[in-house]
Amino acid sequence: MSDKHLPSPIPGNTPCLAANRHRSHWVERFLDGWSVYRKNTIGRIGLTLLGLFGLMAAASFIPQWVNPIYHPMTGVDPLISYSTGPSLRHWLGTDYIGRDIFSQLLAGARIAFMVGISSALISILFGTSIGMVAGYAGRRTDLILMRLADMIMVMPTLLVVLILSALFGQLNIWVIVLMIALFRWPGVARVIRSQTLSLRHRPFIEAARVSGASHLRIIFRHILPNVMPLALLYMTFRVTSAIIIEAALAFLGFGDPGTVSWGMMLQWVWKTGHMFQAPYWLLPPGICISLITMAFYMTGRAMDDVLDPRLRKEETQA
Amino acid sequence: MGLKRFIFRRLVEIAVIFFVIMTVLFVLFRLAPGDPVSRMVDPSMTPEDARLLMASMGLDQPVWTQYLYYLKNAATGNMGVSFHYGQPVSHILMNRLPNTILLFTTSIILSALLGVFLGKIAAWKQGERTDTLMTIGALFCHTLFLPWLALIMIWFFAYWVGWFPITGMVSPDVWIDPEAGFVVKALDVLHHMALPLMTLIMIHFGSYLLVMRSSMLETLKDDYILTARAKGLDEKTIRDHHAAPNAALPVVTSVGLSLAFSINGGALTETVFTWPGLGRELVFSVSHADYPLAQAAFLLIAIVVLLANLVVDVLYAYLDPRIRY
Repeated sequence: MSDKHLPSPIPGNTPCLAANRHRSHWVERFLDGWSVYRKNTIGRIGLTLLGLFGLMAAASFIPQWVNPIYHPMTGVDPLISYSTGPSLRHWLGTDYIGRDIFSQLLAGARIAFMVGISSALISILFGTSIGMVAGYAGRRTDLILMRLADMIMVMPTLLVVLILSALFGQLNIWVIVLMIALFRWPGVARVIRSQTLSLRHRPFIEAARVSGASHLRIIFRHILPNVMPLALLYMTFRVTSAIIIEAALAFLGFGDPGTVSWGMMLQWVWKTGHMFQAPYWLLPPGICISLITMAFYMTGRAMDDVLDPRLRKEETQA
Repeated sequence: MGLKRFIFRRLVEIAVIFFVIMTVLFVLFRLAPGDPVSRMVDPSMTPEDARLLMASMGLDQPVWTQYLYYLKNAATGNMGVSFHYGQPVSHILMNRLPNTILLFTTSIILSALLGVFLGKIAAWKQGERTDTLMTIGALFCHTLFLPWLALIMIWFFAYWVGWFPITGMVSPDVWIDPEAGFVVKALDVLHHMALPLMTLIMIHFGSYLLVMRSSMLETLKDDYILTARAKGLDEKTIRDHHAAPNAALPVVTSVGLSLAFSINGGALTETVFTWPGLGRELVFSVSHADYPLAQAAFLLIAIVVLLANLVVDVLYAYLDPRIRY
């Protein structure tokens, strides 16, 4: 009826503000990438799996809302006080004190996304900034930062977090997230640094410098947009490693005792000696960890194909 | 020669990195809540014994003297006495070290060889069903959650089929038996090692396969492969003697890059299979608050990772004659 329901005019026809043009440029780039991504089978499988896990995480609030006995941590079925197999009442059975395994599995999906994405965001933030600064500043700054990165890179993250939890006692889930992030930035920093090195002497950077832009402005306005896609790609791989490290830590018994993660569930099966009697309890958490890792990994590989123009050319030629 | 100087330089670097790690660990031990004294001293000791022990460890001295003591003790291999075992830590760990090295090196070498072998075939049959199956299989194995895979392996091969022992590294009855010769004992260890080894290989070969495959695909485009074809060499010779050796170099790099990942996996595998190695000892000591043992186990693992990195670098230089340091 009114004007605002009409489709928006074609960008080229109307004079638009710089900000608007900027945004449509990003949208265009995204749509461009998406049309390539969509043709990638591995990428489609990965995204579908991620969607399923997302649904699980979103549904994790439902069981305890239906009935408090389904609460993943505190809900105990008054009729059951030991591990039972799948039934109508408990779709995947119960654990050693009668808690519902299915609702624990849903809660685990929420924790996995939380741990994976927040830890990856932090390590990407660190890695990208350090990589850009090292690549842009060069000389001694570069040398010192990259030596630091090398040193952290050879450290086995899981064992480092393990020794820290020996010293500081049970670690909170957010401390674990932060620890993982702090030990996983060097790989990102190295890649971003080499990308920055190749950008540093391009004409548009020189032009910005000549016209008096500050170093910070050059780094964040001109270099950052160009290394962003690469940083996003590395984020999917960091999500994977964060989820695995948290799960392994929980499996060894050093997770946050206040959370129900898939690693924690595996630890309960293992430590209570149910692994030979209760396949309904042993199988689901392990399958979930493996599948979510695979989903993020597949998404990352497909994104890699989108970002690598050489591969895209091959695809159009074929 | 260049290589010798390179090794020397890397050894100095390793020493510096190790020194930094030790210092950070020392600071962390002092930063941790609770005083170091109560942590380093067994709670069941009498006050008199505790004071003597503290004096012998220099814990009554100022911090910087303690730091020098700490460095001196680490250099001479005197890292204190384990609370749990009541034995010198160095003695326990030197006992565990060969077991870890045995499992760690065997698994890495075998999975790299398997990855190179299968990756070569996958690249050769690019686009065919063999290639698709191998790539998907590699991706699948690579993303399996290691402790879970270990549990499944135990459940299937040790419990259900019963081919392999469930845990441990040796069967006591074989080792007590005075009749048993070296071969019998070695076979016994091998029998125990089969499952942890299979688990580690399954987790690791996938990424090597993918690296080998893509590197082989690049190599096959090179001119010298065309030359080999033009000379009329048969396909098998081209694949195995011309393309594969060059294509395998990035796998060596990738082995080096994944060493930290492998040692994490090693610790998890050792723990699940109760393989008496360094990783299991670290996990055990952390969960039993055995601080001297945890600290020393961590430092020893750090040395193993750093030296393994050096070995990979040297191996790379040896395999690629273009690299000269």
